[in-house]
Amino acid sequence: MHKFIFYIYSLLIIVSVHAQQTQMSQAEIDIFKSRVKTIANNTKTILSDFTQYKHLEFLSNDIKTSGKMSFKAPNLIKWEYTDPYKYSVIFKEDQLLINDDGKKSDVKIGSSKMFKKLNHLIVNSVSGNLFDDNEFDISYYKTDSFYVVKFTSKDKNLSKYIKEFILHFDKRKLHVTEVKMVEPSDDYTQILFKNRQDNIPLKDEVFTN
Amino acid sequence: MSYSKAVLSLYQITLIMLLSLTSCTLVTTKNLVRAPIVKAEYQNLYFSNTNTDYVYKSKIDVYGNYFGGILIIKKIDKSHHRVVLTTEFGSKVFDFEFQNDNFKVNSILEELNRKMIVNTLKKDFQLLLNEQISVTKEYKNADYTIYQSQNKKRFNFYFINNKTADLEKLINTSKTKEKVIIIFNNIDGKLAKKILIAHKSIKLKITLNYLDNN
Repeated sequence: MHKFIFYIYSLLIIVSVHAQQTQMSQAEIDIFKSRVKTIANNTKTILSDFTQYKHLEFLSNDIKTSGKMSFKAPNLIKWEYTDPYKYSVIFKEDQLLINDDGKKSDVKIGSSKMFKKLNHLIVNSVSGNLFDDNEFDISYYKTDSFYVVKFTSKDKNLSKYIKEFILHFDKRKLHVTEVKMVEPSDDYTQILFKNRQDNIPLKDEVFTN
Repeated sequence: MSYSKAVLSLYQITLIMLLSLTSCTLVTTKNLVRAPIVKAEYQNLYFSNTNTDYVYKSKIDVYGNYFGGILIIKKIDKSHHRVVLTTEFGSKVFDFEFQNDNFKVNSILEELNRKMIVNTLKKDFQLLLNEQISVTKEYKNADYTIYQSQNKKRFNFYFINNKTADLEKLINTSKTKEKVIIIFNNIDGKLAKKILIAHKSIKLKITLNYLDNN
């Protein structure tokens, strides 16, 4: 009897999870894409706090780090971790400018195809302008408060490291509120954005190391 | 060969001979006094708690190149550890598993998948994680009690502070040379919050700082 009740409960939970996330129709997708594009085109700068959770299946707790993200159109982006350590990365053309608690280094990513793709993904996911990409299979879902877009890479090299790339868009403002990178092992990195400010002046010096 | 070059190379040969003569005795045990073995078993408890996520900000200097990252160590079970290095963004650089004497590479970035690199990292982590140590010799000086153990063809020396009873230094040696030195700092009970792993024969230095908020 207990088993039966447990089974019914499990079934209910599964059904409700599915009910929460439904696939979008083609008409909904078209409207969503054009709205995101309009917003992305009008977004010259973004300044936002972020919190990152690294989930590994064997850990008791996710590893939490946080900081600020700055974006300036068309392709300048800076991730600045402030807690629990100071570390910043600037994606600039084909270079990564890294400052690890005062220790500075440059990484040329021109030679690394995978890094280029990751960079491209990150820049475009922040601006929300990703949907014309031919390198991914894209699927669209909706919940009560979010649009959820899932990207799976067609590139075998990239998919060895990232199985799925999931973006959450706030339904009202169509801002990216969450980026999740899922590895083939199902371990993942989840980045949540909050206190986002759009189009405040950001000097180019912000993007120097 | 010109005269000056010949003199120079003679000088170099003499220097090498001199150096090799002096290095015949292991510097680690210099000025140490042998003592009777009091404890036949010593335990390194720095990675022994299965409830603790050991998460460290890591800085790696290797042959003039610098990499940052997050090193995560978890004791899964008795004699069973996972060791994962990720970038600050969270993507995995490598994922190793140590279980008794078995070693498994769950994943590693293609660029790093070289036998030499994997072997060096494997040996370093085995040294760091090995919990049960069979003491074969014991030494003493004013500051430390030193336990020596056999590590295949090599030796490990555990330096225990006489006052605090903390493991402060771990040296891996061949018969004549120091190979790897691990220094434990900011020790808080069974946790070493700062760890330095330095190699003597290759240019590799790993600095680990414990992340407190996790």
